[in-house]
Amino acid sequence: MDQFMDRKNYTHRNPNPNYTPNYNSMQSLRFIQALARINRAAPKPTTPSRRTKQIRRAAYASMAYTSGSRHNWSRALLIRLRQRQRLRSLRLLTVRRRVRIVTPAMSRPEEPARAETLRRLVPGGKSMEYCNLLEETADYMQCLRSQVQLMQSLVDAFSS
Amino acid sequence: MSASLNGNSASSGGPTGTGGDDFFDQMLSSLPSTWADLATPKSPWDMTGATNPAGSGEDCGGYDESALLASRLRQHQISGSGSPAGAKPMMLHQMLMSSAGRGPGGGAGGGGGGGANDPSGFFALPLSLGRDDVEGPFKSPNGTGAEGLFNGYGGGLPGAAQANSQPPFHHAQQGAPMPAQNFGGAPPSGGAQAPVAAASGGGASAPPRQRVRARRGQATDPHSIAERLRRERIAERMKALQELVPNANKTDKASMLDEIIDYVKFLQLQVKVLSMSRLGGAAAVAPLVANMSSEGQGGSNGAGGSDSSLTVTEQQVAKLMEEDMGSAMQYLQGKGLCLMPISLASAISSATCHPRPSVSHLAGGGGSAAAIAQHLIQSGPNPQAQPNNNNHVNPDGPSSPNLSVLTAQSAMANGNADSHKDSSSA
Repeated sequence: MDQFMDRKNYTHRNPNPNYTPNYNSMQSLRFIQALARINRAAPKPTTPSRRTKQIRRAAYASMAYTSGSRHNWSRALLIRLRQRQRLRSLRLLTVRRRVRIVTPAMSRPEEPARAETLRRLVPGGKSMEYCNLLEETADYMQCLRSQVQLMQSLVDAFSS
Repeated sequence: MSASLNGNSASSGGPTGTGGDDFFDQMLSSLPSTWADLATPKSPWDMTGATNPAGSGEDCGGYDESALLASRLRQHQISGSGSPAGAKPMMLHQMLMSSAGRGPGGGAGGGGGGGANDPSGFFALPLSLGRDDVEGPFKSPNGTGAEGLFNGYGGGLPGAAQANSQPPFHHAQQGAPMPAQNFGGAPPSGGAQAPVAAASGGGASAPPRQRVRARRGQATDPHSIAERLRRERIAERMKALQELVPNANKTDKASMLDEIIDYVKFLQLQVKVLSMSRLGGAAAVAPLVANMSSEGQGGSNGAGGSDSSLTVTEQQVAKLMEEDMGSAMQYLQGKGLCLMPISLASAISSATCHPRPSVSHLAGGGGSAAAIAQHLIQSGPNPQAQPNNNNHVNPDGPSSPNLSVLTAQSAMANGNADSHKDSSSA
């Protein structure tokens, strides 16, 4: 009986003895799984642009899921992804907006001028204070960079 | 008003200023001369005065007003509660003006020389003390600080005045009330610890909450403390960001922000481009992955398991070839494939096997694809290749599309366009 249980659990375990679940490995796993899912649905004719969007969404989703709720940007990304998914599946245009107390850009005079651009770039950056925004940017940048490296290595592996 | 203080402390995470201690030390250093007769119950003053050697060298341009108020309170208490109300403001005002004018040396002493009573009346300190003259001479935002100070006294006096160690406050500025309270009849040893410990930068008897050491000569009111903390935090985060961004040789904050924005945009663009480029290999990825896996498993049985898409492609090509060669070629082209004779394929694969680096930097096309092609050629000999040879199609079973796929990729990568006698494509 115990052996059966173990065997069931065994399938989910990583066979590598030196396996330590770190951020990069989790991200790679999620992304490759997402890619496999996309490829499995490939026989259905998809235009290149749609496939591009699918892959890009998978990339951002893997980033957001791996970061989880630890950061503001990942939470905002997940919310955005789920909203879009709901929109696409239900074809509804009414999105329930969460009421947030967002201070507009005018009321933050002490920030540098380009802070608003940064807010637009980083997901969920509109309602953060400036110093939190900087911290989120650093983390977002790191995740983006690891994602790009992952995709680049995949492309290299497949094309050569 | 005190709400604003609380707001300040909340936003800045509750740090408190101990800069008041600095100024207190300065003030105290000037005191012993005039307050010598009060020294017995107030030995901490002597101690702090003795341990504060650098008080003279400081400019009092940024002294703490709450410290002044606290000293005023001390003045008041020392002069006793019985002194006429009218004289008090004048005395305190005088003291403050003189201290403002002349700096720490002797200003307080001159003003405070008048009252030398025993500080027993601390508990009887009226809450409304000097609120008016606080706002009078010093029209500054620290007028609210004064009120908070007084409110804090009202709340904290009855029970906590006798505390040896520093009572935990939740207000923004704590440097002033604490030493004042220490002066106010608290046991001297306990009180001595507070300014000394604070002066030494938070030793073992440091209060449980965080205190920010203000640099000498800087303002220590709560707003500026919060501002300074915020600025420091922003600066350290900018530094961390600077390490992440590759081109981080800019020292200017504005240009650093531009650099950060550009880098984030660049990364997002890279994700987009990479997701697009994966597309070109989509048709080839599936067969390649399937074949590599089947090669790994099947070993030498040629191309063992063929993917469904392969057979589909195969059948499609065969069907098209029956109708028209050109359309078949176009179909293959659309998939990024081409047809070529086996001999040429083998020649190309052997040729591209060797100069691997040059191939790879051309288009990422050739190297291991050629290796795989060679492996397929070697492992999959097929006798039925003979009758179909004039068709220029690799007929050895399911591996044929693979071969043509791979070699087409390598051919395209190497820029070999002509590979046919009849109809050429690639």
